[in-house]
Amino acid sequence: MLKTSTILLSATSILCLTAALSYINLEPVLAHSQEPDQQTPTRTAPPRNSHDFLGLGPAPDIAAAKLGESIYKENCATCHGPTARGAQGPNLVRSVLVLHDEKGEEIGSVIKNGRPQGGMPAFTNLNDTQIYDIAEYIHLQVELAANRGLYTHSDTITSGNSEKGKTFFAANCATCHSITGDLATIGTRYPQPAAMLARIAWPSTRGPRQATVTTNDGKKLTGTLIHYDDFETTLRTDAGVTSTWSTPTINVDIPDKLAGHRALLPKYTDDDLHNLTRYLMTLK
Amino acid sequence: MKLRILVIVTLVLTLLTPTVLLGQSAKPRGLDPKALTLFHQPADTWPTYNGDYSGRRFSDLSQINQTNIAKLKVAWAYKITGIGPLRGIGNPVIKSTPLMVNGVLYFTIPDHVFAVDARTGKELWRFDFEDHGGHLLGQRGVGMYGNWIYFLTPDGWFISLDSKTGKERWRKKVADEKLQYFTTMSAVIVKNHVLIGVGGDAMDVRGYLEARDPETGEQQWRWWSEPLKMGDPGSETWPNQASMDHGGGMTWLPGTYDPDLNLIFWGTGNTNPVFAGQGRKGANLYTDAIVALNPDTGKLVWYFQASPHDTHDWDNVETPVLFDMIIDGKPRKLLAQAARCGYFFVLDRTNGRYLVSKPFTNTANWSKGIDQRGQPIPDPDKEPKVDGSMVDIPINGATNWPPPSYSPLTHLFYVNASEGYGVAYLYDTSPEPEGYAGGGSGTFDPRSSLIALDVTTGNIKWKHIPKGEGSEGGGISGGILTTAGNLLFTGDSNRLAAFNPADGAILWSQPLNTRVSNGPSTWTLDNQQHIVVAAGDTLYALTLTGE
Repeated sequence: MLKTSTILLSATSILCLTAALSYINLEPVLAHSQEPDQQTPTRTAPPRNSHDFLGLGPAPDIAAAKLGESIYKENCATCHGPTARGAQGPNLVRSVLVLHDEKGEEIGSVIKNGRPQGGMPAFTNLNDTQIYDIAEYIHLQVELAANRGLYTHSDTITSGNSEKGKTFFAANCATCHSITGDLATIGTRYPQPAAMLARIAWPSTRGPRQATVTTNDGKKLTGTLIHYDDFETTLRTDAGVTSTWSTPTINVDIPDKLAGHRALLPKYTDDDLHNLTRYLMTLK
Repeated sequence: MKLRILVIVTLVLTLLTPTVLLGQSAKPRGLDPKALTLFHQPADTWPTYNGDYSGRRFSDLSQINQTNIAKLKVAWAYKITGIGPLRGIGNPVIKSTPLMVNGVLYFTIPDHVFAVDARTGKELWRFDFEDHGGHLLGQRGVGMYGNWIYFLTPDGWFISLDSKTGKERWRKKVADEKLQYFTTMSAVIVKNHVLIGVGGDAMDVRGYLEARDPETGEQQWRWWSEPLKMGDPGSETWPNQASMDHGGGMTWLPGTYDPDLNLIFWGTGNTNPVFAGQGRKGANLYTDAIVALNPDTGKLVWYFQASPHDTHDWDNVETPVLFDMIIDGKPRKLLAQAARCGYFFVLDRTNGRYLVSKPFTNTANWSKGIDQRGQPIPDPDKEPKVDGSMVDIPINGATNWPPPSYSPLTHLFYVNASEGYGVAYLYDTSPEPEGYAGGGSGTFDPRSSLIALDVTTGNIKWKHIPKGEGSEGGGISGGILTTAGNLLFTGDSNRLAAFNPADGAILWSQPLNTRVSNGPSTWTLDNQQHIVVAAGDTLYALTLTGE
């Protein structure tokens, strides 16, 4: 009994010793120095675009894709659909093989050899350049689906009624706005429906706001807000004098130019917005 | 006899080693599994992304409290250097919550892991990875099991590192970046399972969550966000097999775990195609849901769908926060989530039944109320339209990934919210759209806010709307931490601010280089409570003595 426990004890101590050794010997053998600048070469500043942002891999070769379009339509569209989204043949935009293809190497092999078991013939009539162009056309279709940075709003409005928009305007907007005054040419300035709708709903202009600061001794200063948060307020007066206060010690009055728009936001139906958009687009 | 003495001496030495030889400097050591608890993690450890398994981000520490908060100062700052702009993103931003184990902080940005001495802010090691694709939007941090660190790369590599040296032990491919999956999660360790979720909704792929072996990295199970085939439970919410196969539902934020119930709770992301619902009529289970799974098998136990038939990109991945509370005299095991779709949910976490289901910003006008289970009912008229459809939730959602908090002292749930209106557009009107197929536009009457919600009613107890607009300063940012010192920490303007959790009054603030970019955390080292927070490329540690 005693012997057994001694052996157990020894076994435990060996384990502990191993653990202790690992503490002693494997103590921060620093893999990197304290100056990481020398460890990692600075990466070159990448272009900031949605393709890189999303990590979509090699960008499609647009010129080749253009050439590939007609070859694709002639040879592939019947089975795979005009934009490669599938017909009686599989969808290629969501194809694992297509998504793994970089420059036609995988796609090319399928085009050349066909897929007899799946009923796809070999396209021996196509040369390597044509195959590359087809592959790039397919890659462009993937890009158009996956890269949402390329999406665009419609240039035309499909719904909305100009007369109803006019009525809504008269009832809700005409106190502040005039179709012969400030909005006389708004349709020219916002010819795109989504931009017009956004302008109607919330016409905020970015940039510093005007404010009046009342200090705790009753002094009033009016000017441009340079900085404003829960803690600090900085105002530049029209005379060019800049002052900073602790925000809780002052009163800041900012004229709310968008009060009317704010009040309308919860009231709009989508139809109201579409009607107004259509109506204001006629003001040119 | 001699042997016995040697054994005893060895034992004594062994026991003394950690304290005697390691002294007061940071020496990376393993994580004691006992530190992983539902509530109340040890004071000297922050062992998981959320601190404990509950996701409450409430700390029992009270050394820093309302009476002495004025003395809280920056003790050290660690600024990331030598890493250039990230592809497509720009300058590095720390969104991860650092683990703190045995005096060492472990945190990340995409492609990089840092080990920093928690006492001094000195770098101990750094692991640099070169990705071959994937989205570099964020990285939530590492997971830890014993001596091993687990890290996920933008292109789907699951890497195990030695916590002492930062040397790679092995790597396993867990997600295919060519299909536009990417991995950003802080791995969650439950028993001998390393739980990994995935992101990526550009190409209409299936979401999944998987468990891997902490020693070998081999897959133990994988749960898919959609039923596998028609006829399976939930498949009745999809029109056909293809729509399920391409239905999305990513699992990109760490979930929570109740050891007593042996359940993990996970949020699933938006449905695909993102803004176009015409090719996937139905509720689209189990996307945009909270799911309760068995961590040993990956089997679904219950679900609650937050945004059925989502057409607004409202990932429901926000932390499902676990807490216990006595309601009407009965002890209840509850789960709360402030969801991106604008609803606040409180559920019984044993079965998913709802207690509260209520909008927490505007009216959530994309829904027509709630069904018998408390799930919002989507309004078909508020789906994205070619000419736009306005909702009273910003297009990026009423809240997002920054972690919320629940305090058992106030019984309030705290969330950083976005308020305003957005317009959802449909671009792809074909019967079988692909990708995003639409998009959001406009942010009307926008503001950020810090909201305290009563968990028994879903009513707003208080709300703080910061002064200023983005261009002037102002704005709530980052995640939330509450403590037994009756403090709530979060980002406000370019500062870390402490609020009174009872009424939202600002008690203290510390200017930082830029906006808070992660969830603040806290732990004690050498009897000194530290608050740790990141702003952009810099990690700050604050103590009562400061420098």
